[in-house]
Amino acid sequence: MSSTTLAPVAAAGDTRGRGWRRYRSRTFYLFASPWIIGFVLLTLAPITYAFVVSLTNFDGVSPIWRFIGFRNYVEIITSDPGAWASLIRTIVFTIIVVPLSVAGGLALALLVNRRIRARGVVRAIFFVPSVVPVVAVAIMWRLIFNRDAGLLNLIIGWFGADKVTWLADPYAFYALIIMTLWGLGGGMIISLAALQDVPVELEEAARIDGAGNWRVIRHITIPMISPVLYFQVITGIISTLQMLVQPLLLAETSSIAASANVPQSSTLFMVEVYNEFFYNQRFGYGSAMLWIFFVFILLLTLGLQRLSKRFVFYQVAAGGDD
Amino acid sequence: MATLIEDVRTRAVVRPPDEAPRKRRRRLQTESSRPAGVGTYIAVIIAVGLFGVPFVWILLASIASPTQFSQGAEGLLDVSWDFSNYIEAVTRINFGAYTMNSIILSTISAVLSTATSALVGFAFARLRGKGQNFLFLIVVATMMIPSIVLLIPTYILFSRMGLVGTYWPWVLWGLAGLPYLIFLFRQFFTAIPLELEDAAIIDGCGWWRIFFTIFLPLAKPVILTSLLLSFTWTWGDYLAPALLLNYDNTTLAVATASGYLDPRGNGLPTIQAAGAVLYLLPVVIIFLFAQKQFMGSSVSSGVKG
Repeated sequence: MSSTTLAPVAAAGDTRGRGWRRYRSRTFYLFASPWIIGFVLLTLAPITYAFVVSLTNFDGVSPIWRFIGFRNYVEIITSDPGAWASLIRTIVFTIIVVPLSVAGGLALALLVNRRIRARGVVRAIFFVPSVVPVVAVAIMWRLIFNRDAGLLNLIIGWFGADKVTWLADPYAFYALIIMTLWGLGGGMIISLAALQDVPVELEEAARIDGAGNWRVIRHITIPMISPVLYFQVITGIISTLQMLVQPLLLAETSSIAASANVPQSSTLFMVEVYNEFFYNQRFGYGSAMLWIFFVFILLLTLGLQRLSKRFVFYQVAAGGDD
Repeated sequence: MATLIEDVRTRAVVRPPDEAPRKRRRRLQTESSRPAGVGTYIAVIIAVGLFGVPFVWILLASIASPTQFSQGAEGLLDVSWDFSNYIEAVTRINFGAYTMNSIILSTISAVLSTATSALVGFAFARLRGKGQNFLFLIVVATMMIPSIVLLIPTYILFSRMGLVGTYWPWVLWGLAGLPYLIFLFRQFFTAIPLELEDAAIIDGCGWWRIFFTIFLPLAKPVILTSLLLSFTWTWGDYLAPALLLNYDNTTLAVATASGYLDPRGNGLPTIQAAGAVLYLLPVVIIFLFAQKQFMGSSVSSGVKG
């Protein structure tokens, strides 16, 4: 995959002696060793450990535990309605949030790519929400969703609607969606950079052929930046599926152990896992849920990768000049 | 996945100093954008309203009295400039100490992970070793592993090793480098012309000296980006400090989220608002000042911080 970028260095190495190559190889492992050791200890070890724990009935504190094989997995799949419901909720949440945020990010990018006044300020206003720390985001939106004093109920009041308890069932789900979409400016920045790489000649040519704004966007711009859009879809799916902190904080959980306070409608899969760990103290069971989720995301990513070849347009010839 | 990231990489703005595509890019951009019409401005104004209102609302709440806040909009639109919530926010909890904790942790993370990531990024860009391509594939793949899936088992492991309640986990994470930053450095170092290191090698330079005297000085913009990103990540992180630290040595993130309660355990919205403003301000200021720098890097890998 990296043959083109790595080629020059390799070619130069070939003109030098074997001893030099060995020195270079030793140096590579020396330089890369912090990451290699870190990967083994901080990534491989925890995930393996989670697998081992998932085969036990370990509760986190008690020294008495034993191997129970795949019983946790069987229980999750066959007789845990909570796990299934939260998984389906998470998938629905992702299906709503990811397309909206990628499309919204693209729409904003198209807007701020035009010649408008105070473009820098406008870009910053769209972008800053995506860098605000999640704790502050949750506090901000709790103020907006506040039942009696919140902005949202004020606005829907103008239209004659009754006050809604946004942070309780069943509205907590929609509150979470709104809060998540507020951060779509991160995607805007990525789309914006991609837009600026689209050759002007292509768009101009389409316009001369009589295409309107919409058709230029649909048939030129979107195909040209499809790799970047696809990238956002993939990373968006992965990060949205594992969302945990946002529902916890939106529910105004005052202490970390009280996570069972999250309203059911915003109990996403990771919240369910979190409850199994820190509320029900079922470390083995929770670990099994983590592993199921891990495999699920892995398979999904591979599947999407296959599927993408049909939608994503890779600019092969023109990519060289950049 | 790999080809995809390679492709996104070609759009990277973080470039070696000898290439100067920025000028060309700016020209293209002005040409492509015709003067905007009324419809565009209406859309912009609506969007600015939607994205800006939460900021306005939290600022209003942070200077409102509890009674004004509970009156809803009428109270909030009538607030006087009263900063007692801010005073309350920094005195009700040990604000200075939590801020210090956040600064210490974020600095540890930023310095260590930047240093290690530069080293590892250099190795992947400039050195050859057996199995290198496979290792790099793992770097890319770990960017895709759900971080939450790792954090809970890590917490169990660390608690068994007695590291919970200490800052050691952040030191270890920092020493291991961050895949995202490794990727960033690797992209930058790969694009530097070969002649530069060839000359040094002919002069008898070893790789260490090449790294420290030639590549690192060139990488100043990437180093700065990496420091800013990793600092703000740790500053904004909630879950790791909530799980791994105790109430007295935790970060501002955790304290802001759970510190502003009345004796019965109910949240105090106006004081929370003031605390949240103080807590988010450094991050927003950093990003506004380093906007160009950051936007470039977020593009080069497309992963959000």
